[in-house]
Amino acid sequence: MMRFLLLCVSLPFICVLSLQIDSDLSLWQQWQILLSQELDQSYEQIDWAYSRLPRLVMALLVGACMGLIGSIIQQLTRNPLLSPATLGSSSGAWLGLIILAVVWPEGQSQYQVFAAMLGACIALALVLMICGVRNLTGLSVVLSGMAVNLLFGAIAIALILMNDQYAKNLFIWGAGDLSQNGWEKVYWLWPHCLLGLAILGFAGKPLDLLKMGQSAASGRGLNVAALFLVLMLVGLWMLSAAITMVGIVGFLGLVSPNLARLIGARAAGKELYISTLLGAILLVVADSLALYLNTITFEVVPTGLTTAFLGAPLLIWLIQKRLSQQDKIAYLTNYSKASFTSTKLLVSGLALLAIVLLALLTHMDDGLNFRWPDEFAWPIRWPRIVASLAAGAGMAVSGVIMQRLIHNPLASPDLLGVSAGAVLALVATSGFLGWRIGELGPLVAFSGSFLILLILLVLGSRFRFAPAPMILTGVALSAFIETLVQGVLMKGTEEVYDILRWLAGSTYRVKPDQAWVLMLGVSVLILISLSLHRWLTLMSMGREVAAARGVNVKRAFILLLILSVSLCSLVTSILGPIAFVSIVAPHLASLLGARQVSTQILLSALLGAGFLQLADWLGQMVIYPNQLAAGTMAAIIGGVFFMLLLLRNRSVS
Amino acid sequence: MINLVSSWFKVSLSCLALVFSVSVLAEVRIQDSQGEQAFSQSPVRIAALSWELVEDVIELGLEPVAIPEREAYQEWVAQPVLPASSVDIGGRAEPNLEKLAQLKPDVILIGAALKDIQAKLERIAPVVFFDTYQRDHNNQEKADQVFLTLAKLLDKEVHAQAKLAARQQVFEQLRGQLNAAFPAGLPKVTSLRFASTTSAYVYGDNAMPQYALEHLGLQAAMPLASTQWGVTQKRLKSLRGIKEGVVLYFKPFHFEKKLAKSPLWRSMPFVKQGNVASVASTWTYGGAMSLQYLAQAMTDSLLEVAKQQ
Repeated sequence: MMRFLLLCVSLPFICVLSLQIDSDLSLWQQWQILLSQELDQSYEQIDWAYSRLPRLVMALLVGACMGLIGSIIQQLTRNPLLSPATLGSSSGAWLGLIILAVVWPEGQSQYQVFAAMLGACIALALVLMICGVRNLTGLSVVLSGMAVNLLFGAIAIALILMNDQYAKNLFIWGAGDLSQNGWEKVYWLWPHCLLGLAILGFAGKPLDLLKMGQSAASGRGLNVAALFLVLMLVGLWMLSAAITMVGIVGFLGLVSPNLARLIGARAAGKELYISTLLGAILLVVADSLALYLNTITFEVVPTGLTTAFLGAPLLIWLIQKRLSQQDKIAYLTNYSKASFTSTKLLVSGLALLAIVLLALLTHMDDGLNFRWPDEFAWPIRWPRIVASLAAGAGMAVSGVIMQRLIHNPLASPDLLGVSAGAVLALVATSGFLGWRIGELGPLVAFSGSFLILLILLVLGSRFRFAPAPMILTGVALSAFIETLVQGVLMKGTEEVYDILRWLAGSTYRVKPDQAWVLMLGVSVLILISLSLHRWLTLMSMGREVAAARGVNVKRAFILLLILSVSLCSLVTSILGPIAFVSIVAPHLASLLGARQVSTQILLSALLGAGFLQLADWLGQMVIYPNQLAAGTMAAIIGGVFFMLLLLRNRSVS
Repeated sequence: MINLVSSWFKVSLSCLALVFSVSVLAEVRIQDSQGEQAFSQSPVRIAALSWELVEDVIELGLEPVAIPEREAYQEWVAQPVLPASSVDIGGRAEPNLEKLAQLKPDVILIGAALKDIQAKLERIAPVVFFDTYQRDHNNQEKADQVFLTLAKLLDKEVHAQAKLAARQQVFEQLRGQLNAAFPAGLPKVTSLRFASTTSAYVYGDNAMPQYALEHLGLQAAMPLASTQWGVTQKRLKSLRGIKEGVVLYFKPFHFEKKLAKSPLWRSMPFVKQGNVASVASTWTYGGAMSLQYLAQAMTDSLLEVAKQQ
């Protein structure tokens, strides 16, 4: 109780302090403005009354919303890892805004809110569809959210790259900007926040009941489904409203409720209150930091950036403190009963061959033609084909290893922040040297990925590499890096598109020697994976089984993790991030009946290679003479395919 | 043995031919951003893969055979008008190489965005690289230099000199109009592009709009240090430092009405004095002649400002 009171008292102090940053008005003058509501025409007064004050109110509202929604989501799902961002809503809102900017730029001044909300809702619906409403308690929902984030992110990047000038002004929203011009946005947002008051008032008791378990709660007359639906909808409505107003501000929804529990909020209602309060405090502090930094640097520092600087370390600290080893599930083979035959391997091989031939033979000059590539087309085509085949196979095998290691069929190495590390290294080096990203070698990207792996290993050793905190730490790291990159994108100059282009994952710039290096590296790493298949088999049965059979679990885990990350980083360093191949190819292989590790590795490699090559080929065809990056196409096809698969699985079971 | 001798003979012959072609037949020598390039004759089929180079080629009175992103050029650059014969070969960052090869260009002109795939492009045709926008040089002088170098390469030097002289005349003429419109002396002017109702990309030193203003005899109302593209992102609040000057903002800005209504904007000194106007959509990262279009568009806006006072 004392702590709660302390928080309550500290909030006004923080607010008053925040109002003093970058303002020439004395406290007394500010007080006068508040009391009299009368302004003389000095700029300082108008700025304080129409920019600083609404900004503070906005920070309070948005922070409180985020804290409250985070707590609701975590209590409803009893999953301390969930936050609004992991449910895909911010990437949905982002995509909605970009589509509006491209399709109907004039409509932006009126319909941005609508577009962002629609996007957020669609994203959430997709996440719920993928993991199923009943599966919201585990790691699966985090991974489904990441999958939707990847899909929407890929589409957004493709749209921006094709319409670069239209999207420019949205970058500032993507970076999370709280600056206000007048009270308009506050007036718009506050009625939505009234919903939050209703939740604070009434949700405590039913949520307490829910803590006893769903059946016990239903036994006492609680309609669990209705409670879930109402709270979730109301929460996400508020969230979409807040995101639309200020852009992407991460971490608060995840950190506040966990922090609330840490300082002793036991009862559901109390957690709601404290989390709300903490969210508001955290955002005001982060925003004050941004305001202060804006006065001492020439660059514009967005609030999203300072929030990430506060939130990411807090989150990683919380993960270290709160999460113990909790997942002890064996690898889930919920796939088909089909048995694996060598005919299937043969058919897959033939399909791959057909795809390669298709890529070689099709020409788009005056209509679709088929012929052998001429002396011009050949040197343009073969490095791309070799690269995408190798990359597809590499990502697929990387996925097989990661999924068996983490015991989750949705896990993929890029979720650990590997590609985020690469982009950070590229952006930092290019900023430092003043070179454009294309001129930096793959080595820079590769070392960035490995830096992240190193950090993960150091942080992971504390909780003995338990899967859930491992993934979460990775997610936290990549979210942090993404915010940094958004901060760079906000500059809006021509070279920021280099970053986006790299993020799209294209084979366009692959040089012949790079293609061979990639092919060679991937082949060697796949061979190593095959030779370690016994370890992987035992590890995927669970750590106890592996230990009982004489495997040094820790060493095996680290080695296999390094193997998976190496494959992913090698591909990423040459092509850029390639999403979904690492999830879809192993999944398909299992569907075809590959149960043993070695057959799954082989079949996945074939399927992954074919899939990525097909994606690259399609990318060059659909909007000829323009092209879509292989990574973009893979994310779109893979994402859609993946969702269909899961839906089918659900309807079967 | 005979084979060997004959092949040796062939090699030395071709070497001789090579030396011959470079030293005697080379008629055009130019300096691009990487050094000297020699061409035996002026290229005719020109592929221009960057918009500012597309502009330059068209301004020189030629029709480039290959250009990137036709539609977007017409939307954002607009002037000079694209010839109907120029074929769209896809994105500025990832032009379609096979389509480019099919057009059989004699020369490929690229900017910094494609420098890293120069080797791939050289398989199709000789590549000339112009790095127009850099922090450590004067972008406008560089743009002029690129224009003249291109003129030399394409055998249009007289035409280019005439164009630059005409541009200078336009500047003089516009300056005359401005002087007449502002009898009390020319105001200081800063141009920008809004990013939202709370922040803007302000054109400072080394930005094309800033150079255009300088040519009109106008000083910057908000001096900003030189950057690569000449643009710096600023908070709306920092514009209040512009006490006397005029602010011009480029269209399109879709939140124009919202901004105009806001008290923060209305309390800006230049807004109170009516020293603000929008500028018709103009490309601000263009080539040598884009400076003229910028000067014209901005003068139109400044005359509006003068009329209102």
